[in-house]
Amino acid sequence: MKILVIGASAAGISAIKSMREMDQDAQITMISKEKNIHSRCMLHHCLSGHRSQESIDFAGSNFCADQSVNWLKGVAVAGIDPQKKMVMLEDGQKLTFDKLLIATGAAYFIPPVPGLREAKNVFGFRDLADVKKIDALLKADSRVVIIGSGLVGMDVASALNERGIKNTVVEMMPNILPMQLDQPSARVYQTLFEKNGSDFLLSEKVVELKLDENKIGTSLMLESGKSLEADLVIVAAGVRPQTDFLEGSGIVCDRGIVVDDKMQTSQPDIYAAGDVTGLSGIWPNAMKQGRVAAQNILGQAVSYEDRYAIKNTINFYGCPTLSLGKISPDEDTKVCLQEDRNTYQKILIKNQMIEGLILQGNLDHVGFWQELIKNKVVVDEDTVFDIKYSDFYAVNEKNGSFEVAI
Amino acid sequence: MNSNFSCKTCQSADQSLENFISGLSVETSHHRVEGQSVKCGFGLQGICCRLCSNGPCRITPNGQKGICGATADTIVARNFLRAVAAGSGCYIHVIENTALMLKKTAQTKGLLKGKNTLKKLADIFGIQETDQYLCAEKVADAVLSDLYKPDYVKMELVEKLAYAPRYKRWMELDILPGGAKSEVFAGVVKTSTNLNSDPVNMYLNCLKLGISTGLYGLTLTNLLNDVLLGEPAIRLAPVGLRVINPDYINIMITGHQHSIFTYLQERLTDKDVIEKAQKAGAKGFKLVGCTCVGQDLQLRGQHYQEVFDGHAGNNFTSEAILATGGIDAVLSEFNCTLPGIEPICDELLIKQICLDDVAKKANAELKPFVFEKREEQVEEILDAITESYINRRSKVEINLQPEHGNNDTLTGVSETSLKDFLGGSWKPLIDLIVSGDIKGIAGVVGCSSLTAGGHDVLTVDLVKELISKDILVLSAGCSSGGLENVGLMSPSAASLAGPKLRAICEKLKIPPVLNFGPCLAIGRLELVATELAESLGIDIPQLPLVLSAPQWLEEQALADGAFGLALGLPLHLGLPPFVTGSSLAVEVFTENMKELTGGQLIIDDNAKQAADTLEGIILAKRQGLNI
Amino acid sequence: MKRIMIDREKCDGCLNCTIACISAHQEGSNFYTADLTGKTADSRNKIYFKEKEGYFPIFCRHCDEPECVMSCMSGALSKDSISGLVNYDADKCGSCLMCVMNCPYGVMKPDQTNTKMIKCDFCQDLTEGPSCVKACPKEAITVQEV
Ligand SMILES: Cc1cc2nc3c(=O)[nH]c(=O)nc-3n(C[C@H](O)[C@H](O)[C@H](O)COP(=O)(O)OP(=O)(O)OC[C@H]3O[C@@H](n4cnc5c(N)ncnc54)[C@H](O)[C@@H]3O)c2cc1C
Ligand code: SF4
Repeated sequence: MKILVIGASAAGISAIKSMREMDQDAQITMISKEKNIHSRCMLHHCLSGHRSQESIDFAGSNFCADQSVNWLKGVAVAGIDPQKKMVMLEDGQKLTFDKLLIATGAAYFIPPVPGLREAKNVFGFRDLADVKKIDALLKADSRVVIIGSGLVGMDVASALNERGIKNTVVEMMPNILPMQLDQPSARVYQTLFEKNGSDFLLSEKVVELKLDENKIGTSLMLESGKSLEADLVIVAAGVRPQTDFLEGSGIVCDRGIVVDDKMQTSQPDIYAAGDVTGLSGIWPNAMKQGRVAAQNILGQAVSYEDRYAIKNTINFYGCPTLSLGKISPDEDTKVCLQEDRNTYQKILIKNQMIEGLILQGNLDHVGFWQELIKNKVVVDEDTVFDIKYSDFYAVNEKNGSFEVAI
Repeated sequence: MNSNFSCKTCQSADQSLENFISGLSVETSHHRVEGQSVKCGFGLQGICCRLCSNGPCRITPNGQKGICGATADTIVARNFLRAVAAGSGCYIHVIENTALMLKKTAQTKGLLKGKNTLKKLADIFGIQETDQYLCAEKVADAVLSDLYKPDYVKMELVEKLAYAPRYKRWMELDILPGGAKSEVFAGVVKTSTNLNSDPVNMYLNCLKLGISTGLYGLTLTNLLNDVLLGEPAIRLAPVGLRVINPDYINIMITGHQHSIFTYLQERLTDKDVIEKAQKAGAKGFKLVGCTCVGQDLQLRGQHYQEVFDGHAGNNFTSEAILATGGIDAVLSEFNCTLPGIEPICDELLIKQICLDDVAKKANAELKPFVFEKREEQVEEILDAITESYINRRSKVEINLQPEHGNNDTLTGVSETSLKDFLGGSWKPLIDLIVSGDIKGIAGVVGCSSLTAGGHDVLTVDLVKELISKDILVLSAGCSSGGLENVGLMSPSAASLAGPKLRAICEKLKIPPVLNFGPCLAIGRLELVATELAESLGIDIPQLPLVLSAPQWLEEQALADGAFGLALGLPLHLGLPPFVTGSSLAVEVFTENMKELTGGQLIIDDNAKQAADTLEGIILAKRQGLNI
Repeated sequence: MKRIMIDREKCDGCLNCTIACISAHQEGSNFYTADLTGKTADSRNKIYFKEKEGYFPIFCRHCDEPECVMSCMSGALSKDSISGLVNYDADKCGSCLMCVMNCPYGVMKPDQTNTKMIKCDFCQDLTEGPSCVKACPKEAITVQEV
């Protein structure tokens, strides 16, 4: 069987490893635009200089040999013909397949703010190439502006702080990490970042980047009327699934590639997994989708069930946080709060079920919480902070595995 | 994140205290419960032995005996007797110091406030002496000479103090104690490596230690203190964190030896001392009660209202009292002075002085009390405390809790003041018991612990259950500190009692829970029991009277418990005293004890169920008496 | 593969397994010398206690479908196809804590500096097997083939 995998990241690599567990003989070819396998989640460690390019290769340097994979790197797919079961590459090559997995992930999005898209010193932060471009321009006295204080923006800020490079984060919302944190928990990080060199402009919107005659952005204009000098602008304002090469292929997209429970697209024998599906934007889910797709490609009927995707961990300056689910309460949400000098914990309960939570400061043994949200476990708000895995303890007598007894 | 130390604090029967503690930025015992939540099962069952280098040995399915051959029964008994011996030693230390204090006070013709008690003691001891000082000296000597006898010479006062039928039974069981200090020694020797291995012999030894502890450590300490410091008088008094008055230089006292404070207490009302405080910017000095010595002050509070602010709280409230910031110094002389107060004192710049080296705290100044030097010592202490006050008040945040506690706790109850209150005879009480208006009496004593539901939780729940069954509760020990702070010792608590008990309480304007004060006053409960039995002409085990130490904490409590069992009383404990690993121990305490002394142990951490059991026992005893 | 089987009824909460685990991961320490309060006093196992219900010993299952591995973005966590063990390579670890978030049984935890993870390694470098199992006086945990 001839299997093609487009994408050499979380979903693609996880799919290939799973396929190889089940089938030693299939002919697997992996195609990627990028020349290196690397974990995006560690790009900031590369930018800061803590990690080499090789050391953020999460698949291991022998991946292709170990898994007997033929890898076409540094070449983008330009189109797909589902009828002919053929993939067209930008360099003109054409490859046929029995089964195809599209795991092209997402690409950063630059908002249509005058100046941003044209400027030569505006970058996104999605892959190694971005790191290299930024690194090439950075000087010890550079003034960097980061637009967006989401996880990616803060990764960048932390890397710049490590290098002692001045940076200012501009955020539309009143607190940083607005998707994951509430005001108090965000404040903790803001203070830590400020101590380490970052400045923040909150509740501020960028309306224009002024360019010089060489299309170099020089100053950012904000809605409040303020302006901000910048030598470099990094945009971390969200990502969009990479589906442009599918135009005209007949593969149905809606914000991302539409897939069924088996990760199959609207076309038979063509599967999709990872950020490109728009189902999630985080690593664990991309990995799992890749695995489910692989199992189905090889004929096992497995459904993608563990869909929960509103989960994040944050770890800056020694302060860890877990954020799950919905973190802003509605009118009828019960907000349970507990805090002390080392921890801040907030659990939102609606109809006796946990809707979301923020646990900051101590993440020992917290893994079971998302099971309670996923499985809509009824909890008592008076004792919610006392819940532990032991309350759901169950051991499979045969093989000794744990279960979450709900 | 805020400045609170940790959000994980244990429960407390006293909700406002719980809230206060959970909001503190200093660590307390209540915060540490969480980290100690996994208890070692071997320890809980008492089946871990560390007596020799072959150990620690633990009893397991594959190791049913220690390497030496000790069975679970032997290991449990050894551990238990060691604990009882240590607990006895603690109380014997207290009576020894108290007797010495009485002797020296008498020799120097110091103030003796309790003339009636002195006469009573002289009568019991058979001392005929008209001069009060000579009489007091002889009383003290009689006590001391017993304490210092070897273990093979029986103590002489036992027969005079004990109720005759009990004395007879103890003689039959051969558990009359020799010299009380030597008995502690004997108990320790017996339990050392490869010595006694006979559990029954060791449990009988526990009863013997119980008798010396009870009659000397408890009963006599109370009475000698009454001679020195004045007899308890019934009154209403404020309790709780509210008693701290920031206008004064506040001295928190912890321990069990009230007599050590005799001289200090008197000095605090002297003009020059008040002026010393005024010069420092305060209105004067005040003592803030904490732990049992605070209960003792409260009990006799009638005699020194100007210097005693009131009882703020019990053992596991002490850290919270300090955390209010309103305390300028801690004077400690014995236990229930938690190591946990040390960092709090450091942080809040609170001066700590220990007056007895058995209770030396790591970071405190040691100033062992010396009777002959008491005058200079008190001057030095007051100077140090004044300095602490001056130094700290501008630097430390004060976080008082004026709402905590209440102003109408009935206190000052003793065997004498209660009898006087009843008109000089026990008859009215006996009549109420016979008529069934009072179903029976429960002595709820002991400490507070942070297990068994949390701080004072089981104690308070159990007491509420008991009074709702028309059982009158008498309390002594840190348990009363908890009960008073939640209002159960205020007359208004009558509304929580069963209809009959409620009617009596409302008529007499008393609460259904009577406060006898410190744990030492368990000795007073024994006096009440004895006098009741005497008036009825029956033995103590026949009385519709039960004991409970729902939240017993320490080794001393185990020695007290042994006294209760020797008296033949049913004794309830919330948690087992590390003996359940031995089926023999369980059998001895819960069953065989009934034949041995008439007593029995009941273990139950469920308040409702335990109250039902105790009620059942009371009803059975009533039936035995045909009432 | 081998797994530490747990008989919770036998557990007596003595925490010997906890000391054993801490000691096994402190170079040169033993039961007498293990540092139980310092920066490396981390146990890979955890015992919970509930009144009336008893002890709940939690030991890494080295799962068949390990969620921690599924969430690992650095390649630090991997399931060994031969031994079946879930291994952790601290050098690769990027400290993202997603394994901590995703272990459904709350087994995983970060170290005290939140930079590396505390993960059961089955004491693979010791011939006699997991230290916790060896230290359990009640045989509440035993290594068995599953
Ligand atoms: C800076 C940063 C930090 C992050 N941190 C975290 C984190 O801490 N935790 C977390 O859960 N998630 C994090 N994420 C998100 C996470 O990295 C993604 O969810 C994950 O990488 C998605 O994997 P994927 O395989 O779906 O796609 P991607 O990782 O986006 O990979 C897409 C692959 O497809 C290839 N490709 C794309 N288009 C084409 C084409 N036309 N032809 C050929 N090849 C193509 C690319 O070269 C690449 O190999 C982070 C993301 C970024 C950018
Ligand atoms: S850490 Fe958790 S998910 Fe990972 S193998 Fe162990 S038990 Fe399974």
